[in-house]
Parts: sequence; structure tokens; C-alpha cells
Amino acid sequence: MAETLKLCQVLLRRRLLKLGYSSSCQAFHTSARNQVYDPNPKGGFRKEGDLNFPSRTEMIRDGLKQLKGEIMLWKEEVKEKLAMDPLMVARKGEVDVQWQFNNPEVLAKFQLNSDRDQNHGYSTCELKMSPSGKGLFTGFIDTRCPKDGIISTTGYCSMRTYRARKSFKRDSYLNWSMYNTLVMRVRGDGRSYQLNIANAGYFDITWNDVFNFILYTRGGPYWQLAKIPFSKFFYVSKGRVQDKQRPINLELVSNFGITATDSSSGEFNLEIDYIGLEFDPAHQETFAYEKYKHSNFIVGN
Amino acid sequence: MLRPRLLSGVLARWTGGADRLQSSRNFGVSNFLLKKADDSEQEEQKQVVAKSIFDMKEKNKNSYIDMVRKYNERNVLKRGHVEFIYAAMKHMDEFGVSKDLEVYKALIGIFPKGKMIPRNLFQEAFQHYPKHQQCATDILEKMEQNGVIPDMEVEVMLTNVFGKTGHPVRKFMRMYYWMPKFNNLSPWPLPKPVPDDPFELAKLALQRITSVDLLTKINTFDSKDLEDSLDKTWILSAQSPLQKEILGRLPSDQPLYVEGAFKIWLRSECVQYFVLRGKPKPYQPRPTMDEIDDVSNLKSPYIDEEAAEKTLEPLRTVHEQAEGTIIAIAATGTSSKDSLLSWIRFLQKTNPPLDRIPVLFSMTSPFGQVVPVNDSAGNQGQRLSD
Repeated sequence: MAETLKLCQVLLRRRLLKLGYSSSCQAFHTSARNQVYDPNPKGGFRKEGDLNFPSRTEMIRDGLKQLKGEIMLWKEEVKEKLAMDPLMVARKGEVDVQWQFNNPEVLAKFQLNSDRDQNHGYSTCELKMSPSGKGLFTGFIDTRCPKDGIISTTGYCSMRTYRARKSFKRDSYLNWSMYNTLVMRVRGDGRSYQLNIANAGYFDITWNDVFNFILYTRGGPYWQLAKIPFSKFFYVSKGRVQDKQRPINLELVSNFGITATDSSSGEFNLEIDYIGLEFDPAHQETFAYEKYKHSNFIVGN
Repeated sequence: MLRPRLLSGVLARWTGGADRLQSSRNFGVSNFLLKKADDSEQEEQKQVVAKSIFDMKEKNKNSYIDMVRKYNERNVLKRGHVEFIYAAMKHMDEFGVSKDLEVYKALIGIFPKGKMIPRNLFQEAFQHYPKHQQCATDILEKMEQNGVIPDMEVEVMLTNVFGKTGHPVRKFMRMYYWMPKFNNLSPWPLPKPVPDDPFELAKLALQRITSVDLLTKINTFDSKDLEDSLDKTWILSAQSPLQKEILGRLPSDQPLYVEGAFKIWLRSECVQYFVLRGKPKPYQPRPTMDEIDDVSNLKSPYIDEEAAEKTLEPLRTVHEQAEGTIIAIAATGTSSKDSLLSWIRFLQKTNPPLDRIPVLFSMTSPFGQVVPVNDSAGNQGQRLSD
């Protein structure tokens, strides 16, 4: 039994989330994952020993330097709370831009990750400004597997926002409940990219809750406006589409990310003008996938 | 008693080469020995070498299915079928059958029927025959990675092998539910598989790129028709009537740039295309807030024509982008400078304004990264026409 579990872990755990079927490449993976408890939020992808912490006095000094900034943030939060007039309704047809890629400062809000970082492959990626003054997510996807006997498929690069935070480095959420559509103005290269909206919660079973959809790019010199309603995003955890589907909880968005992954090795270029949110009153759908009850012991197992 | 001696003799020969031993793990452990194909050397060394059964000259779907059939025939007891299946899956790409449902069905058909169906609750709960279930799951995983949607026959086959509560059938259920949902999501559908021919691919690519303007016409030219062309190749050019109109309004002193090659991906194929770009149309300066609030000098756009010109701006067409005005897009067979020259010559026939506007090559582009164009004797910024 233990051997089976280990075999399953080794073979299933390292499978990576791939794209949909209209590109020649890979699908989302639909096997069940063995629910083995993992206390590490990084899922074993980073060990504590990898981090180089500075000395204690240095850390205290750095912390005190940040104190002023954090108190200013906290003051703003208290003011917001006392004012008690949050935005509750978004206006029709207006796009509230969340990330506008017109200066290099926005690029610092995204963290880049590729399979090379975890020694799972040889892909590289970078996020920089394009010749036309917009953000450019570019790199090379390499589907060659490292010969370690564990990895069977690889080749991915992703850019992801840092976790939303309150003052004093407390984890927070982005509240997107006013909106029902994600709007992106992009200029791709014909490849499909995967959009990930993470709903990481407090409890460990929710740490890897992600909602995915695919951004199909036309390619070519023309800009593309992609509007994807949130009802189309489906529930995924650690690269596996879950059996029990549910709609995204827009009040608890922890991260937003874009992943480039394909079965074909090669360069990828995704130029992004902005990523924004919109409320489209004509879109009445709450969830695009069935939520009906499944038979016991089959689902999620 | 003959068999063990034969096997030990074979193993003794194998221990010389470590990689040979490695390969022995890959295929079935049955005594499947083949004589060396080279007859001339057989007289000198009477060696019986077990070569991989996947080592054949003609690697196609028929030979693959034939190999599977041979395994089934020679191995009634199906010894080492899991190892054989893993080895077969490894070589699928070589034979070019990764996207063929029939081949996957042939692999699933190797499993013995009925033997591995659980008969009581404990067997059902504890993944009866885990190695075999994992093997079948891996076949389905490979299908999923290659975008092959299974059909009901696969379900029947898997149920006959592992029972309906087995993991492979559960995975099949998930695949059967999700894969059709994702199959046709792309707003720009492509044929499955995408054509091999570069001309057809380029046509698909241009159709995709120019789908922004539905009136775009894609014309095929051949540089053979031009006397002074060096590269004899096909040229696909996409231009819409709107772009012709915009070209007619462009001033003669601003040159047009041929930029490229840019890449577009169609599934796993890449097509290079080029863009004929004009200088971007400048945005009219927006009035500042002070100007808007200033009511001392109000002018009505209905009475005063000058004021109308200042406050109103004709809507931009899709071709008038911030980086430049796109006049035409092309793809050629050789993607060389000479073929682009031929393209411009052809465009001049259908676009008279091109006679008066200079056209230049550009090595960089605001549209993105450029793959340098191969050219025998070209310089940067070479003037193409006057």
C-alpha cells in the first residue's frame, strides 16, 4: 500500500497543468490525486534550508525600518474602515484596470517562475517592457525532461502576483466581487496561455485552490481584447481539475497569474497592455459547469 | 531444462554492456530472441542478439499495431504485459501514433479481461492490481496529454479489465466529461492536425491574423512571374479594401517599412510573417481640464468648422494602431529579402499609391521581437523602391 502511494505520488505529483485541446498540446489533468497531507504551503517545492536568512540583529534593524511604512498603511486602513463607504457596485461598461503595464514599476509586482527553478526542466522566462512600451512576458519553453527518473512531462513558465497584503505584512485578499468579467488587452503569438486566479484560504486543503481558464491569443500585430467572465473559470487544485466543481469566490482572490505551457518547445511572447475587471450586466451565467451531486466514493477519490 | 540455460547464456553476453542490460528492462521478459538481421556477419559470429522489438525500419501505425498483435499472439499468458505497454508507450512518438485513438485501444486491449475485476469490498477499496491500474491510468494520461478524446468503446474495454470502480474507468469518466468541453474553445479554430505543408499553414496563419477585418482578401502570388526576382517562391499577401483606402491617404514623404519576420504559432507549428507598416497616426491632443472649464471663448462645432475639426476626430480603424498603420501582411516560402521585394512589386500592381511612397526594410519593429531575415547581400535599411 505504501509502495502504491509512493508510486502514485511520484508519478502524479509532478505532472504539470497544461492547456486545453484547441492547441495541439496538453490537457488539464483529470486524475484524482491521493490526498496526502502536506504541511508545507509550497508543497515541497521549496525547502526551508534554501532560504538564506540574515542575522537576527540585521533582521530587527530591517524590520524597524519598515515600521514607518507599515504604520502609514495601517492608518489608511483605519480611515477606510471608519469611513464605511466601500465601493459596492461597478458601473456598466467601465473597465477597472488592476495592472497597467506602462512603466517598469508594475513589473516588480509579479513573480516569475519556471520549471528550471525547481530543477524540473530547462525553460526560461522574463518579464520586461516591450519596444512599444507595454509589458512583455517572454521566454523559451523547453519540454525536455531532466533525467532524474521522476519527471515525465515538463515545460512551463509563469508570472504571478505576490499575495495581496494588508499592513504589517498580513496576508489579505483582493475583493473582486463587484465584477463579473476579466478583461485583458494583449498581443500574443498565437499560443494559448493559462489564467490562474488563486483562492488560497486559511486551511491547508484550500492552499492550492486555483481557478483556471485559457487565454487564446490570435497572434499578429493587432491588439486583442479578451473578456472572460468569471463564471467560466473552473476549479483546479495542484494541476488537477477537481471533480466537485464550484464557482470562484471573488471576495477571496489571493493571487492572479498567467502560465505559458505548451507541448511544443519554443519561444513565447505575450505582450500585455492591461489587466482589468468589468461588470457586464448582460452576462447572467453564474457557473458554466455542472454542480450536480456525484456518486459517493467515486468523486474526488 | 533448455530454457533456463538459453536465458543464462543470453544474460552472460549482456553483462558486457551496461546499456544493453538497461534496455532489457524495457521490453517483455519473455524469451523473445531475434537473430541479427545482417546475414553477412552471421557466418563469422553466430551470435543471438536480443534487439529491441521496436527497432524496425518502417515506423508507422501499421507496424506498431502489428507489433502489438505479435505480442498478443506469442504471449497467450501475457507475461510482462505491463512492461511491454510502458515500452510501447515510450516508442509511440517515434512511430508517429501518439494522436491515434486506435493505437491506444490496441494497448488497452493487451490487458487480460475479467481477471482483475474486484470481487469483494476489500479488493474494491484497495486498488486491486495497483501496478496494472496505474499502467492503464498512464495510457489514459498519455492520451490526455496528446489531446485524444476517448470514446465509449474505451470505457467498455476498461470496465471489462478493471471493473467500473477501477481507477482507469474513473479517469476515463473525467476525461470524457472535461475534454470535449475544452476541445473547441478557441475563437480561431484550427484543423486537427494542422497541415504540414508550409503554404497551407501560412494561409491559415494569415487568415487568423487578419480575422480582425473580415473583408481582408488573401492573394497568392508567385515570384516566378517577375523577371528580375532571384527567389522563386510563393507569396501570400493579405490586404483589405480599408487598408488600400488608408494607403491612398498617406503622404508621400513618410516611408513605409517592411518589418519581420514575426512568428505566429498554430498548435505546434510556427509560421513567419511580415508586416508593411506606416508611421502611426498621431493622436490629437486632448483638451486639458482648464481648457474644458474655460467658457470665455466657446465655439460651436455646428457653426464653426474649425472648431469641429479640433474637437472631433474620425474613429480609428483597427489597422491604425499606436505602433503604426498596418497596410498589408505577407508570408513567403523562403522568408528572404528578395521574396519580400517581389511582394512589394506585386502590391504595387494593386496599390497605385505604392509607386509614390518609398518602402524600406527595417531590422527592428515596435510590434515585437523580429527574427532576422536571411539575405545573401542585403544591407540594413535598403531602399526597395522609389
